[in-house]
Amino acid sequence: MTDDEIRRLRCACGWEASGKFEELVLEAQEHGRRIHNMAPTREEVEAMLLPLDAIADHRAQPDDSSARSA
Amino acid sequence: MSRTPQGWDVDSPVQAEIFTVWRSGDHLELTGPCGAAPWLVELGATEHPVEVVDRIVRDVVGDPLLVHSTSWRRDRDAVILSFVVVIDAGLVREMPSVPIGRAALARSEATSAPREIATEAVVEHGLRHMAWLAKDDPVVAASLDESWKALLAAYVPEPFRALG
Repeated sequence: MTDDEIRRLRCACGWEASGKFEELVLEAQEHGRRIHNMAPTREEVEAMLLPLDAIADHRAQPDDSSARSA
Repeated sequence: MSRTPQGWDVDSPVQAEIFTVWRSGDHLELTGPCGAAPWLVELGATEHPVEVVDRIVRDVVGDPLLVHSTSWRRDRDAVILSFVVVIDAGLVREMPSVPIGRAALARSEATSAPREIATEAVVEHGLRHMAWLAKDDPVVAASLDESWKALLAAYVPEPFRALG
């Protein structure tokens, strides 16, 4: 994976985000802290990344401004 | 009311499962940042579960009317503490929300936990627990208005218990 490659990350609660790795780390940490009282490390975020087209049924959570559609 | 199996998830050994409930006219609905799906929160080794749930609900949704733990069970390789959180209708805003239907409870065997516990059964038990508190606990009784109590009257009062 290159730093500029666009990837997707999805939380089991339905929240998802797409973007470059560094952006996803920040978004995942913000979502985790705010909604689930957890703080994923960079390594944990990297392990959970999905290809951009991996999730067909995109659902953004309207209450969470950090959720972004692809 | 299910979570997606695909993706990153809460995985601490002790977790809170929050059911955010509000009164919509003549019925109760389930809402929250995860919609009707259980809202799972990690609980750290030194954190008090009620304090964490109260804080995170205030931060994400707004000030709750009531926060109460209603059951526990072992699931997801963790101990899950279930909470019913009552909120005012004005806090629902654009969060997804669905009416709560009735469900059969997951009953334990004489000396063992139920084999399977559906989310609907946890919510059902939570509301039965609230129905019990509304009659037994003066703080809860004072926190719920008469319309809430009338809706809870349809539930069989039942105190806190382990579901698994």
